[in-house]
Amino acid sequence: MKQINKFKKEYEDIEIPSELDQVVKQSIQRAKASQKKHNPVKRWSLGVAAAAALFIGSINASPAFANSLANIPVLGSIVEVFTIETLTMDRETYQANLKTPAISGLEDEELQASLNEKYIEENKELFKQFKEEVADMEEVDAGHLGIDTGYEVKTDTEQLLSIARYKVNTVGSSSTTMKYDTIDKQNNVLVTLPSLFKDDSYIEVISSYLTKEMKQQMADDENISYFAFDGSDLDFQAIQADQNFYITSDHKLVISFDKYEVAPGYMGIVTFEIPSDILSDVLVGDTYIR
Amino acid sequence: MTKNEKFELVERFLIENQNAHYRIAYSYMKNKENALDIVQDSILKALKSIDSLDEVKYMKTWFYRILVNTSIDFIRKHQRMTVMDGEILDGYLPKSEDEQSDMDLLDALDALTPNEKSLIVLRFFEDLKIEEVATVLGENVNTAKTKLYRTLKKLRLEIGEGI
Repeated sequence: MKQINKFKKEYEDIEIPSELDQVVKQSIQRAKASQKKHNPVKRWSLGVAAAAALFIGSINASPAFANSLANIPVLGSIVEVFTIETLTMDRETYQANLKTPAISGLEDEELQASLNEKYIEENKELFKQFKEEVADMEEVDAGHLGIDTGYEVKTDTEQLLSIARYKVNTVGSSSTTMKYDTIDKQNNVLVTLPSLFKDDSYIEVISSYLTKEMKQQMADDENISYFAFDGSDLDFQAIQADQNFYITSDHKLVISFDKYEVAPGYMGIVTFEIPSDILSDVLVGDTYIR
Repeated sequence: MTKNEKFELVERFLIENQNAHYRIAYSYMKNKENALDIVQDSILKALKSIDSLDEVKYMKTWFYRILVNTSIDFIRKHQRMTVMDGEILDGYLPKSEDEQSDMDLLDALDALTPNEKSLIVLRFFEDLKIEEVATVLGENVNTAKTKLYRTLKKLRLEIGEGI
């Protein structure tokens, strides 16, 4: 057989992965969806990943102070969130950009210090891990890695401060995770999800609402999909007791799921605002949520 | 034809020819994950810029161009490419015809630049006409022909019939 024919045979024997069909169909759905409407969270996390992919240059790991990035003065409130430290690495195939938030102006300095310390420690640890991974990759002289962290102030009212911190890991495709902290500025407490409710019956109340809502959304819009067994029963069963959440400035509870947690990657981070009336029986009070 | 009709035609083309598109991406990426990413990105790019497809009969070359460019961009951005000069390359390539049978496809393609790889894959494995290959690569036909001869010589390949 001629060499070229042997090659052609080998080429035709390239194994087609079973996921291909799904990937193709999802991409088409996603392209359709983006023509119709834009999901802000999804676009934003893609943007972050794209920005991370753009950096070129040489190593730059000096911690730098950057302030006034997120100074959001609110009447009657002097609590601010700003970037206290930025850790970066800009190399052709390895990029890191870690922004550490810090809170100032909280009355309870101990709470403030413990949060700020947590943020700094977290990013330090991430950066250390990243540098180790890069060293491993360099040994085999291959691959590319990226990490990007930052934050966003979700809510800043006289009473509440909700900060969302994101982390985007890029290895081929990207994965995004979110963490939220909600602080009661007046009473100086860190609000946790269980602390909002009388007992743990909220898990059931919220989960059954979400199950219904996910099914409804999928029925209404073919571009929306959540993980499901055989296309019928949802993969999602119940929220975690300490599921990611934040509280909006108009006192609504928002439940958040990381990329891949309940839905295929193209859905990005998905959030659900929970109607307050279904929660009224299980809430401790209406201070935060009403 | 309305934009919706055009969209549907492209959509059907993408689903029906997904295996061919995957193989092209795989011949650049050499691993499943990245090849799937390339297919996904190319579909998104194509459908977003569907207005750039003037006539439906050029759908194939139009999409192959997006696919090939996406693959090459990815390689540029993410992999450190080692460009070999002729002499070093000779060391890697078989000296005589009877040794040739040991060379496998991916090794052989590895020795080529992305542009040379595109020529071989599109012309011989995907059976595009040389004119179509030239369109995909944005080159004129004669340039594509010359490069293809040169690439075959580099690989010491015999193809029997003409280009």
